[in-house]
Amino acid sequence: MRRNLGPVYTMPMALWITAFFVVPIAIIAVCSFLAKGTYGGVIGRFSLDAYASLANSGLAVVALKTLVQSAAATIFTLVLAIPASYYIARSRYKNALLFLVIIPFWTNFLIRIYAWIAILGTNGFLNGFLVSTGVLSTPVQFLYNQYAVITVLVYTYLPFAILPLYATIEKFDFTLIEAAQDLGATKTQAMMRVLLPNIRPGIITAILFTFIPAFGQYAVPQLVGGRDSFMLGNIIARELTVSRNLPLSSSISVVLTLVTMAGVLLFVKLQAKASKKIRPVQEAE
Amino acid sequence: MTNPIKRVPILSRKGFLVKGSQVTLRNVSKHFGEFCAVRDVSLEIAKGEFFSLLGPSGCGKTTILRIVAGFEDPTQGDVLLDGASVLSLPSNKRHVNTVFQSYALFPHLSVFENVAFPLRLKKTAASEISDRVGHYLRLVKLDSHMSKMPAQLSGGQKQRVAIARALINEPSVLLLDEPLSALDAKLRQHMLIELDAIHDEVGITFIYVTHDQQEAISVSDRVAVMNEGSVLQVGAPGQVYETPANHFIATFIGETNLLEGKVLSVKNGIAMISSDAGALRAAARQGVSEGDTVHCAVRPEKVRISKMKPASGEHENCVEGTVDEMIYTGFLTKFFVKTTSGTVFKAFRQEAGAAAAEEAIQCGDSVYLLWHPADAFIVEVKKA
Amino acid sequence: MARDKKHMSLFAFTATMVFFYAPLLVLVLFSFNASKTMTWSGFSLRWYNELFFGSRDLWRALGNSAIIALTSASVSALLGTLAAIGMYWYNFRLKKYVEISSFLPLIIPEIIIGVSLLIMFGVVGMPLGLGTIFIAHTTFCLPYAMLIVSSRLDEFDYSIVEAAYDLGATEPQALLRVIVPVSMPGIIAAFLVSITLSLEDFVITFFVAGPGSSTLPLHIYSMIRFGVSPVINALSVMLMAASVVLAFSTRGLVKYVAKG
Repeated sequence: MRRNLGPVYTMPMALWITAFFVVPIAIIAVCSFLAKGTYGGVIGRFSLDAYASLANSGLAVVALKTLVQSAAATIFTLVLAIPASYYIARSRYKNALLFLVIIPFWTNFLIRIYAWIAILGTNGFLNGFLVSTGVLSTPVQFLYNQYAVITVLVYTYLPFAILPLYATIEKFDFTLIEAAQDLGATKTQAMMRVLLPNIRPGIITAILFTFIPAFGQYAVPQLVGGRDSFMLGNIIARELTVSRNLPLSSSISVVLTLVTMAGVLLFVKLQAKASKKIRPVQEAE
Repeated sequence: MTNPIKRVPILSRKGFLVKGSQVTLRNVSKHFGEFCAVRDVSLEIAKGEFFSLLGPSGCGKTTILRIVAGFEDPTQGDVLLDGASVLSLPSNKRHVNTVFQSYALFPHLSVFENVAFPLRLKKTAASEISDRVGHYLRLVKLDSHMSKMPAQLSGGQKQRVAIARALINEPSVLLLDEPLSALDAKLRQHMLIELDAIHDEVGITFIYVTHDQQEAISVSDRVAVMNEGSVLQVGAPGQVYETPANHFIATFIGETNLLEGKVLSVKNGIAMISSDAGALRAAARQGVSEGDTVHCAVRPEKVRISKMKPASGEHENCVEGTVDEMIYTGFLTKFFVKTTSGTVFKAFRQEAGAAAAEEAIQCGDSVYLLWHPADAFIVEVKKA
Repeated sequence: MARDKKHMSLFAFTATMVFFYAPLLVLVLFSFNASKTMTWSGFSLRWYNELFFGSRDLWRALGNSAIIALTSASVSALLGTLAAIGMYWYNFRLKKYVEISSFLPLIIPEIIIGVSLLIMFGVVGMPLGLGTIFIAHTTFCLPYAMLIVSSRLDEFDYSIVEAAYDLGATEPQALLRVIVPVSMPGIIAAFLVSITLSLEDFVITFFVAGPGSSTLPLHIYSMIRFGVSPVINALSVMLMAASVVLAFSTRGLVKYVAKG
């Protein structure tokens, strides 16, 4: 047999990832267990202060807000994405419609957020329109609250939900719907009892692609959120760059990382259960 | 061919020149972790032989092929080509080439370049490359498709490219791993005949792996039947079919009626057996003696079916029953006959046509099944 | 009954399209607005004029983005391809470690990658600038590049590599004459995706950039923070137009990548 070239080929990437991903994460993990230095930074003394102040009520509220906002965004995304991808999958012009879904996302992520600022801001398009038509007498601030954050999150992640949903619905055998109706199900029953269970892998992927990145958001709340809608990501940055509390920033990072990993693991487990699609093992003949 | 002894040309069974190598497997075993894929296999494959490894999927036949090719190392044992061990040689140094089950054509190279690949590696001169590639593509009748890409070819054509590519290095042994399994039945038949012709033309040793008994027995010089990692029987196709070594082979190759019974006596090479279906006579093989419990097999095509009671049952076995089901397949009709004891017996009758004026048999008819004792054989013996 | 259902999915699709396109159409419209406000006061190209002739910093940032994207995508595609080959067809010690450590960057929040790199650069005393941005971008592009090449390898049986050895190829020959050409669509896709990721990234870059090493997204961010500006509208239109033009002009390439 031949030499095992696996390590040779893999080495460069493994070293890179170790140096610039694993080591930095390890540094954060270590920092989270150290005491805070007087002028920022850390001093080399073991301390659980950072984790103790995590229990501080302010942070717990932020964590809860983060969870609620990303969950709400995920639900609204699914409510739109499931029927929309169903429509695309059943359309004669699937490719063209899919293309329409993707095009808006060719433009920069910040520009897409900015579009909402331009529309919802006090000097924005919507206020201008409402004031000039006399609906409002003075402009209203639609931005810098959690509704704005959720709206922009939905806007950002909707295509990431539509694409996997479309992929599973497209593979769905639609004669099953007819079969269900033939057996006496109404169209709605057929959808709920036959379509939804069969596209569960797509739904789980859509949740994974929406919830996980929304949960770790930084930019969206930073730009369209207010004090009441800041998420964990914003607190990490604030503690690091403004309060210069490295241990606290690190400990929130550690928690956010662990929660995210646990979430992904859960979804992957659910996914495996839902699809039971095992990669065929090469038969040893 | 560094062999100092000048090789005397040998002629094959059909009178063609034999050029291949002798392949020897000595006590080869292969374990994948706990799983034993090949169990102590020893084989001697002659120069120029068309040798088949036949068995159900998972029986270890492909593993043996991969060991000979050099893709796997045996856990134990040795592999020799013309008497010299090749275990230390990696696959690119062995004078052995493989036709892969999936064809393994390089998708980025044209038909011509796929076949030319080994020559390009050796930096062979362009004129020689086009000569040799042309020759082998003519051999597999693909010379008109040279510039096509693999994706543009049909399954049968891909197969031919794979064969031409495996032959261009002029190996002394060609390994074929289920080469026809991806083709439809009709094409398979056709490719089989061509493979046989190619074997005659190139004269090298072919080791052919298949799970299809039809393929194996129709083209091979010899067949090794395998199951669960072991070789159960090696012999010419007729030998394996007519005198299977055991129960497994009897049922794996062709269709068989199997009857269990007790040997009452053995006389003149014929054993008298008492079974559920009545007294039977069968050719006794060595070692069968009175009192043994045996499995007796008879091929359905050797069983005659008739509504008339035979005049003398003396020289033949005769079982009575009713037709339970019949399947008309075109050139023959399969009868499933339930005997009085409840066993279902298969009997095939070839439809000879109007001239033969066969009696019409229908479902539910009472019939007699008749066969000559010499056509029944004992496949498994449990000593008394 | 059946019609109702169709109407419901059509409604959801239409709502999605309106949701997607309305904000962008507003940007396009107001990029041609004569006044600075978001109320229409006549057609003008003054914001385009300002974008092209009065925004030196923006063009410098674009140049930085291009440099970072090309370099980090090249390194990612190269290392990612090698790793994909090594991971896909071989088993070795620590493979599990590589698997996990190259999967985690895909799921861990960007802010964590950015913050942790910032802290590490501080620890080792590395000055922030284009160099640190290049390192950060390569780090988050690499896992994608490897994954994309792996999924390309997934379409091929290992038997083609065995066939190459069987036909006499040495290891380098099998790599260069079979594995790399066969993976080429995947390698190109990995490169293109890495370029896109790099051009798009804001969060990680935000943390590892230093003074004078602004990229286009960073520049846009600072403009947005400054308030609504019609120049951003004009820039948005230009970026959208550039994406569409690029997408269409590379259609052949994309088709090749998709078809393999």
